[in-house]
Amino acid sequence: MKHVIAGLALVLAAVAGTVEADEYPDRPIMLMVSYGAGGATDFQARIVTMTAGNEDALGVPIAIINKPGAGGRVGWNWFATEAEADGYTLAAYNIPHFIAQSIKGGVEYSKDSFEPIANWGADPAVFIVGTESPFNSMADVVAWAGENPGKLTFSGAGLFVGHHIAALQIEKAAGVTMQYVPTKGGGAAAMKAVIAGDVMAGINNLSDAYRAREAGNIKILAVADIQRNEEFLPDVPTMMEEGLDVDNSSVNFRGIMVPKGTPDAIIDKLASIVPEMFMNSRVLGKMAAGGSPVHVMDREEVLAMWEERDAYLRELLKDL
Amino acid sequence: MTALQPSLACGIILLVAIWVCWISFSQAPAEAFLFPRLISVAFVALAGWTFARVLLDPRVAEGGITWTLVKNILPGVVVAGVYVFFAAKWLGFYTSSAIAFIVILSLYDPAPHDQVRAWLKRVAVTAGYLAVMYLLFSIVLKVFIPRGLFI
Amino acid sequence: MEFAAYFGEVFTVPAMLLLIGGTIGGLILGATPGLSPTMAVALLIPFTFQLEAVHGLILLGAAYTSTVAGGAVSAILLKIPGAPANIATTLDGHEMARRGQGARALQLAFLASLVGGLIGVALLIFLTPVLAEWALAFGPSQLFWLAILGVTIIGSLGTSSVVKGLLSGCIGLWLATVGFDDILGVQRFVFHSSLSGGISIVPALIGLFAIPQVIAMFADGRRMSSIEAISVERHPLSRAVRELLSRVRAVVIGTVSGSIIGLIPGIGGQIAGLVAYDQARKVSPERDKFGTGHPEGIIAAESANNAMVGPSLVPLLTLSIPGSPTAAVLLGGLLIHGIFPGTDLFDNHPHVAWPFINSMLIGQILMCVFGLYIASLAARVALVPKSIMAPIVLGLAVFGSYSVQHSMGDVYVMAALGIMMYFLERFGFSAAPLVLGLILGPIAESNFIQGSLIAEATVGPFAYFFGGALNLLLVAIVVASVGYSLYAELRARRTAVAGGDAP
Repeated sequence: MKHVIAGLALVLAAVAGTVEADEYPDRPIMLMVSYGAGGATDFQARIVTMTAGNEDALGVPIAIINKPGAGGRVGWNWFATEAEADGYTLAAYNIPHFIAQSIKGGVEYSKDSFEPIANWGADPAVFIVGTESPFNSMADVVAWAGENPGKLTFSGAGLFVGHHIAALQIEKAAGVTMQYVPTKGGGAAAMKAVIAGDVMAGINNLSDAYRAREAGNIKILAVADIQRNEEFLPDVPTMMEEGLDVDNSSVNFRGIMVPKGTPDAIIDKLASIVPEMFMNSRVLGKMAAGGSPVHVMDREEVLAMWEERDAYLRELLKDL
Repeated sequence: MTALQPSLACGIILLVAIWVCWISFSQAPAEAFLFPRLISVAFVALAGWTFARVLLDPRVAEGGITWTLVKNILPGVVVAGVYVFFAAKWLGFYTSSAIAFIVILSLYDPAPHDQVRAWLKRVAVTAGYLAVMYLLFSIVLKVFIPRGLFI
Repeated sequence: MEFAAYFGEVFTVPAMLLLIGGTIGGLILGATPGLSPTMAVALLIPFTFQLEAVHGLILLGAAYTSTVAGGAVSAILLKIPGAPANIATTLDGHEMARRGQGARALQLAFLASLVGGLIGVALLIFLTPVLAEWALAFGPSQLFWLAILGVTIIGSLGTSSVVKGLLSGCIGLWLATVGFDDILGVQRFVFHSSLSGGISIVPALIGLFAIPQVIAMFADGRRMSSIEAISVERHPLSRAVRELLSRVRAVVIGTVSGSIIGLIPGIGGQIAGLVAYDQARKVSPERDKFGTGHPEGIIAAESANNAMVGPSLVPLLTLSIPGSPTAAVLLGGLLIHGIFPGTDLFDNHPHVAWPFINSMLIGQILMCVFGLYIASLAARVALVPKSIMAPIVLGLAVFGSYSVQHSMGDVYVMAALGIMMYFLERFGFSAAPLVLGLILGPIAESNFIQGSLIAEATVGPFAYFFGGALNLLLVAIVVASVGYSLYAELRARRTAVAGGDAP
């Protein structure tokens, strides 16, 4: 009986191996998001993968699984150590988050643990204050922080995520110290802290801040990017225009990756289909409605971007 | 010695508490272990108190495990353990669930083991269980299940 | 009265079909041990892709309402709560089911859910702007005190001794620190790779409640026995209605505390049932009967956890801040449909917002009707032989803990905690305070750290944590709660000593 089962298993495994590349994918795929449901990464991932089941895309649906915790570390650790490299397990990446965390250590992944497939969005960090706040420009903020060192509290989604990188850059550029308050629960919790007045200011995602401003809950003082965001926030100046030497290093790039060791044939197939899937008109419409900037990059471009961010972040975080 | 087992149980909990406390106070960075330190102090105090009370006043001791109980639960716990910790990942969810189901059913079903009808009933119940699970999880809800050699 | 104008959209054929389908599906999923409401709503999101936004929302809203109520079924019949919200229901509900009163317990649970649910949604309809301000009043210091308040009720939950309850709670608080520290990102107490993700609530809940039940079913060995070898009493509905009316105090306490606590983002939904249960016991003249199968326990817990549904949507719909894990999943579902909660929702999409809220009102009624219909059938679950029930629950436990995060690590954690809990229960410890510790630990810790960071930069820790009316009120309630528990313990011991020397 044992032999029969073992033999059967071998045959099945052999058949599965040859078929894998040609018939991939033949069952639903899962996409791990290392942030909670309802957050920006989560809902954008759901939107960009909603057409995966179409015949001209992958032909099978992609299901989202959330593994939130510790600024994304829980999910990416799982992805680097436990996820199967069979092409049916994908994950969303957030740059600079996971690269910055791997540089700081204490996690089991680095940029070499993963293979990117394609990038779907670039969400710059913005500096926000409540509607009642006396601050109306970055100059006000810097002036107040200069007079009261370490007393200006501002929230962000966690340590060594894009928001924290932006916070470090702002402090460095302005030559002031402020009190960064990381929240548990991602961008939504950081936003709540600003709206409720728990903290004096905050750094958040452009997409979430755009909607919160539409609802009349916050003011957006500046965006940490090279250029203004003409699509959603044409009236908000960049940090550079406000006289702070802060570039686009904190821009939150989101995309899809697979674990190292996934067969090349599968990576190639995904890399050719997925960027097309992101450009689907229904996807673009939903992304625009949510204030989420779309920025599609193919596998080669993402690889180059990872390299470049890695080098920059090593420099920035060196003396921390 | 009715208090022997409760004393032993509370003693083990106290040892765990001391171990947690030792780790909390010996690991760095201190900020990250601030909360575990607070908890572990309370943990040790409460565990110590419980242990002392059981030792000093055997009347408050409660609970225990009899040999009959161990004999009854052991086969089931072993099968369940093999299923959860080993078979589910190795064989796949549906296959291992079906095997675990019929083994547990045969172990605990009071119908005699030399009766063909009893076995037919067991197989039928297992098949029904499997069909409902498959229909609900894989067809209706399209949920992922652990996959192994089989599904 | 703007909302009344939109009832028409609920009473269309597709909307009603989705509402009925979502309610029945939600009841079944909620009643299945191992499937949490959060999970059930998450599973339904892909179904809404094909629907219009308003119809998708109606489906999700119906599922949210009915899974919370459906969770009472497995909580009462199997002592396996589907979500933290149902923990309090197990305390008295399962005792009633053991006595063959499963049908009565289920009827009371659904009726209490209806009352609580309707009032909760009514609050959402009429008082949203006022309540949103109240929800925002809870900053890190207030949430910290609220978590501590939760800890103080730990000791009195379902154990024979306060010290053992607190010790169980401590074990839970410790288990909550396993894994990555949420703010600093440091690994703590990770001795096996399965633990690196920490101990998540859902697998822990399944393990701590379902696995001891499975092992307990093995305990009789090969004997002909059903789960509880007592016949299931039939119970006429009219008697349940009369009983509910005669226990107004429990309904009021449950509904009021459920609505108030449900509003508070991040903590409310999880502990509403337990807090209501605790309050109802403290003011009841029959407080000694709680935990032995007292109907008031079920009524308070169930009216609270459905009263929580409406208010938990207030911060979600007005400020885009989800008040409970299920509300967070619901938010994800809203965003996909291009609907962004906030003032924008009511100003620009009233034809989406109001039918959704109205449908929850209708959904509560449907939930109660279908729930009562299945109550008498479901009570017969108690007649299923243990030899069949044990492997069914075991399989669902594996499935339920795996499917939340697709992680075998969670399954191992679930099983290990379950075996540990079985032996702890043999020695007089109980699962409810342990789970409460597991839930409250991270809330207390992260808010304490955040509060300290803010306090350091501003007014200093003492002024921050003890400043303001709300902080002082919460501290006062904490002190009162601890004092009451100590008083009750001392009084109980005096009576025990007085009677204990007799042979």
